[in-house]
Amino acid sequence: MEVLFVISSLVSVVGAIILLTQRNAVYALLGLLIAFFGSAGIFRSLDAPFIAVSQILIYAGALAVMFLFVLMFTDTRTQLDSGPPPGAVGARPNYKPGEDRKAGEKLIRFNPLDHILLPQPLAAVIAIAFLLCTGYAIFMLPERYNTFGDLPAGYDSALFTAGAADSGSRLLPFGGTDAVSKTIFEGFPLAFEVVSLLIFAAVLGAVLLARRHLAGIPGTQDVARAEGQEPQEKPQAETGHKGHH
Amino acid sequence: MGLLEPKVVLMLAAALFSAGLYGVLSRRNMIMILMSLELMLNAVNVSLVAYSRYWAGQGADLLGSHSGQFFTLMVMAVAAAEVGIGLAIIVAIFRRKHTADADAASDLKN
Repeated sequence: MEVLFVISSLVSVVGAIILLTQRNAVYALLGLLIAFFGSAGIFRSLDAPFIAVSQILIYAGALAVMFLFVLMFTDTRTQLDSGPPPGAVGARPNYKPGEDRKAGEKLIRFNPLDHILLPQPLAAVIAIAFLLCTGYAIFMLPERYNTFGDLPAGYDSALFTAGAADSGSRLLPFGGTDAVSKTIFEGFPLAFEVVSLLIFAAVLGAVLLARRHLAGIPGTQDVARAEGQEPQEKPQAETGHKGHH
Repeated sequence: MGLLEPKVVLMLAAALFSAGLYGVLSRRNMIMILMSLELMLNAVNVSLVAYSRYWAGQGADLLGSHSGQFFTLMVMAVAAAEVGIGLAIIVAIFRRKHTADADAASDLKN
């Protein structure tokens, strides 16, 4: 288990680094996927196999596909993502693959640094300060947090106590599907129902937000008007046309 | 002293959380901000599962030792809902502005 933990944590950290450094959003999404799989390995090494499988199903399956859909749909994957805003002092030009080819004279000028984001000093300072604070808090935890201790043989299916089962009740292993479902449905049933309502509302809201304008339905945007009249004057529209909106 | 112990796992979770925080602060593409946010939520999940395993080793009963895993499932569900809404908002903004830059959504300014 310790070997699995070490490998998974390395994979997870490498995925996070890829996520942070890649300029192309699809590569960054790949890094996020790697980090998710690493986290699934960490969950497995912490004796939570059900959570590990859920992690792969939900995060690596559903969420990554959703991100990929929107990346392809909005076609922002090669837009300049980080760095100073365009027009600021020291701004780099937008990253566009094939631009060098159009320029002509520098035909094959592949610079790998063009695909990697430069660190942002202020964000790095904030993140490292946060890491130092939490690291200090973790370091100051009491001695008993130095070891995980041994797992009990299982949990009594009727009394929920750790240890051996009585006659007539089963022994549920830690982290298994039956133990987790007992926790959900006998420990926190109200929270489970509320979260299912939340997901239902989120699905409805996502459909309402993302679809095109339908006459008579409030909340949907008037895409026909937005696409038909405004595209040309869009860069200047922020300052000049306040009366319209 | 092994490597698989609570303080090491919590430190790893803190490192992943900081990485996600850096991504949220440094990126300009809204989709990338959402991805970094997912990394932060994932780091929280790692620490919750570590606490769950710790209380199992301390001899807690079934509900006490599994509540960390239950909260992990809740975080996953909330993250899925949040990403669905967030991506829908990004698509709606992209339809109007033709960009996913977070600075472009400034209609309420001035």
